[in-house]
Amino acid sequence: MDMDTIFPFAQLAAKIAFVVGLSLGVVPIMVWFERRGSAWMQGRVGPHRTGFFGLLQPLADVIKFFHKEDFTPRNANKFYYHLGPMMALIAPLCAMAVIPFGSKIIIDNREVVLQIAEMDAGVLFILAFAGLEVYPIILGGWASRNKYSVLGALRGSAQIVSYEISMGLSLLSMLIIYGSVNPHDMVTWQSVHWWGALMNPFGALVFFISIFAETNRAPFDIAEGDSEIAGGYHLEYGAMKFALFFMAEYVAMIMASALISTLYFGGYGILPGMQIIIDAVIAQFGFGAAGAQNTLALFQVLSLLSKIAFFMFVFVWIRWTLPRFRFDQLMDLGWKILFPLSLINLVAVTLGVYFYNS
Amino acid sequence: MSPVLIILAVLSALLAVTMLFAKSPITSALCLLGVLIMTAGMYGMIGEHLVATIQLVVYAGAIMVLFIFSIMLLNLNNEETDYKDRPLVFGAALALGALAFAGFGVAIWNHFQAGDVVVKGKFSPELIQTLGGNTKVLSHSLFTQFYVSFEVISLALLVAVVGAVVLAKRKFD
Repeated sequence: MDMDTIFPFAQLAAKIAFVVGLSLGVVPIMVWFERRGSAWMQGRVGPHRTGFFGLLQPLADVIKFFHKEDFTPRNANKFYYHLGPMMALIAPLCAMAVIPFGSKIIIDNREVVLQIAEMDAGVLFILAFAGLEVYPIILGGWASRNKYSVLGALRGSAQIVSYEISMGLSLLSMLIIYGSVNPHDMVTWQSVHWWGALMNPFGALVFFISIFAETNRAPFDIAEGDSEIAGGYHLEYGAMKFALFFMAEYVAMIMASALISTLYFGGYGILPGMQIIIDAVIAQFGFGAAGAQNTLALFQVLSLLSKIAFFMFVFVWIRWTLPRFRFDQLMDLGWKILFPLSLINLVAVTLGVYFYNS
Repeated sequence: MSPVLIILAVLSALLAVTMLFAKSPITSALCLLGVLIMTAGMYGMIGEHLVATIQLVVYAGAIMVLFIFSIMLLNLNNEETDYKDRPLVFGAALALGALAFAGFGVAIWNHFQAGDVVVKGKFSPELIQTLGGNTKVLSHSLFTQFYVSFEVISLALLVAVVGAVVLAKRKFD
């Protein structure tokens, strides 16, 4: 086989490996940061004996999970019980496929777009998989045949279905501003004009709150509610099956952070001031056109990763700052505040774009 | 045809048969979900990404969630044990189904025998590519040429929602 047949498959495989490796590789770091960060915010010490700064603690956790008994409740519906945690990890990983990590790199005169799936449905594809994130919660809670699990599943799915509307509407207002569903077009628009969050602050706020609810993170962790319903939909899951739900939460957080960065905070557009460094690097090493493009792409990936890291930090920060909502407060916020607000915002943005263009 | 397409087709056919013959309602609902996801995969494989996405958003993400939600809320756990085999009804249904299937088969056979009699529209895959992709072309025709029908359909949906609320309210009052 010649290079032309191998190359498309090789570049696709490399991109998939990068994204999956990134999504799963961040999990131990986030587990460590969640524990140390929460301790830091609450004035505790946190795990600090395992390894340097407690950095080996996630590894110890994994070993603990592997050594636990792989227990299945007697009355559980075996097939659906095992299907739940699998689906939990699949949906956010699939949604990562349309997030662009950079514009393009040039290898041996061939262009490689730094995005797994280039499709014209673009960001809408993410909505499709955000809609599938409710199944693991329903399935896991129902198949365990436990009252608390079913309660958690019902609460969780009601929450996700409710907040999906305001999330979709605030996403729609951004699509009207950018005039495209293609994430590359969005990033280009934001690098020419301003960041989306500055153009549409209400939309950004509503989207940000809704995505917390979609990922089941505190203050929206009502599906787990450990102090009220013992653990919610994953109460009956132990060992690595619980760890899968746990990992899925962090992968969903990465997906959410990448989505917020792309839609509202310039995506892979380089951070302010980075252009000076890029110019200096290109001048220093005397790169040609291809080298310059590759350097730019490297800094674009770095920009997106630092934005993702910032939003991951915000996820942890908010979790350890705000208390959990009560269920009626949660529904009031979703249906009586965020839903009308996002609808009004959508109309306002539409009028604004119309008068700006005419 | 690509092998992935054949795998998806076979899987969706298997899931559809399982959906028909499953005794527990939740298995039927989840098999239907599987069929919808496989169909979305097939749309994606032939390059119709927008249709695949809409299939996932509308059917798998919204309608099936409602189905499964209501099945679980109604707690149809006993349905499985209460299920009675009624061979006569089942046989009649099977015969009718086979008849309808044969009718479809004959119609499709006749269609392929008649050759290329399809009246083609003005859009071809190449034209859509030059106009900027499926999403753009579809949205444009939806909000210009088919604007009135789009609005009328949303009105019909609104009537359905209001009607459902009125019916449910009368029952609970």
